[in-house]
Amino acid sequence: MSSTLIKCFNLAKAAGNVTVRRFLAGPMQSWQACSALALQTPLAQMQMHTSPVRRDLMEFFDDKKNWSETEVKVGRAWRTEELRIKSNKDLHQLWFVLLKERNMLMTMEHECNDKMETFPSPERIDKVKISMENLETVVRERNKAYHLLETGETGERPQKPVQNALGLKINYKTCEHALPPFMNLKWIKSRNIGFGGRAVNRFLLKYREKLYNAKRKAKNRSRNEVMMILRRNPNFDLGVLRRQFPDVDVEKLRNEDKVRGHYVPKVGV
Amino acid sequence: MRITQYLASKLKNFSNLPKEYIERSKKQVYWQTPKELNYLPRTVERKRFRYTTNRSWTGQFRQQNMPGTVRRKVLVEPIEDWSFFRGDRIEVLVGKDKGKQGIVTQVIPERNWVIVEGLNWHYRKVGGEKEFPGIIIKSEAPLHVTKDIRLVDPSDLQGTDFEWRFTEEGEKVRVSLRSGRIIPVPETNNQTHDYKTPNAYIEREKDTPGAVVGEITFQPKLSTFEMDIMEEMGIKEERTPVKSYWY
Repeated sequence: MSSTLIKCFNLAKAAGNVTVRRFLAGPMQSWQACSALALQTPLAQMQMHTSPVRRDLMEFFDDKKNWSETEVKVGRAWRTEELRIKSNKDLHQLWFVLLKERNMLMTMEHECNDKMETFPSPERIDKVKISMENLETVVRERNKAYHLLETGETGERPQKPVQNALGLKINYKTCEHALPPFMNLKWIKSRNIGFGGRAVNRFLLKYREKLYNAKRKAKNRSRNEVMMILRRNPNFDLGVLRRQFPDVDVEKLRNEDKVRGHYVPKVGV
Repeated sequence: MRITQYLASKLKNFSNLPKEYIERSKKQVYWQTPKELNYLPRTVERKRFRYTTNRSWTGQFRQQNMPGTVRRKVLVEPIEDWSFFRGDRIEVLVGKDKGKQGIVTQVIPERNWVIVEGLNWHYRKVGGEKEFPGIIIKSEAPLHVTKDIRLVDPSDLQGTDFEWRFTEEGEKVRVSLRSGRIIPVPETNNQTHDYKTPNAYIEREKDTPGAVVGEITFQPKLSTFEMDIMEEMGIKEERTPVKSYWY
């Protein structure tokens, strides 16, 4: 903490126009603070963590003191509800902080693998990834809200479910074209919408059989599992089994041979 | 224990690792179809893992689930309400330490196991050779939550059966069936690898302070994200896009 503060004061001196007051203000509520990575803002916004700008290749590598560590402790990832209260500018800056951090972590992972070292705390990569995904979600939410209000459409790339040449349902992501569809002869020739023919029908028959078999096997598996549970624990709560395995008829299974254990039941105990 | 039960239960994740990492670290992909148009997305990977006292992100776990090996399926009974937490005082019902009481130090819900401090020791001999008899290693063996242990009533320190009930405030609590006393979930359950209590967490160099995280800087504005950033940076866009068609 103190080293960070000293660093901030030094930066403040260098910049001249920085309010360090905001950095100090307020108690640090650590339980909220466990964000994996700080906002690396320009000097005008000093309230968040900044690292010295070196602008060389070593920015791709972690701090030298972490190189031989077995564990580098960091907080948790940013959550969507925390990102929703941040301005667009903050989110924009945070994105690049996270991107730089991700680059650094992936470089370190590659380098550690290369040098046969252990990469300390690999979950940092996942924390950065989760933060970036959440940030993207929030930005899309905002854009969607604007487009819905202004145009009545989401403004996202249009998608529609279609059937491909094999007769399988796929999600078709539409593309942007300069010409309308009826004039675009190249597209009309290239597109392959619709399906038919004996080969496709035969394929579909076998494909559906495969899907059905997977379903049937899953059902048998859960049926067997219920029987094995009942065999090992004859007094197991049937309500729990019914809720856990809704596709199995538990009452019917109780009289199965497989459910009976390999022992003579004790009488009168 | 299934994932929905795990989310609904009061059990806290001690490792404090994101579940994406846990999933990623145990993944064993044998074959994946190339991301080409002529391939359907198919993955051949290990589906069934043998969970033991080794956690799934460790090297020991990988060693026990080496790629290509098949181990017999272990039947794990479904448990609706997980009821044993770290820090609970419990009584052992089986084995050499039958009747003794101890504190739960580790919970392994994948196998319905708990590990109790100083009870149910087991001994392993390692490094034995012709000349050398080997070294005995002592460690606690796991206990099964439905058969091997029961909770201890805090009023008289005797083992008891219990039930999940709701208080008048709507909180779900464990109640001793013998004395009717509430058996509280211990504070130790909330401890993680990173901190004992959330307030005692030490902020690291790259963490954002809590006050900054909670600060509201969002101002509602009729513009998209991109428009706002362009305005901020003084980028003006005066060209009008040509009409295009999405299909």
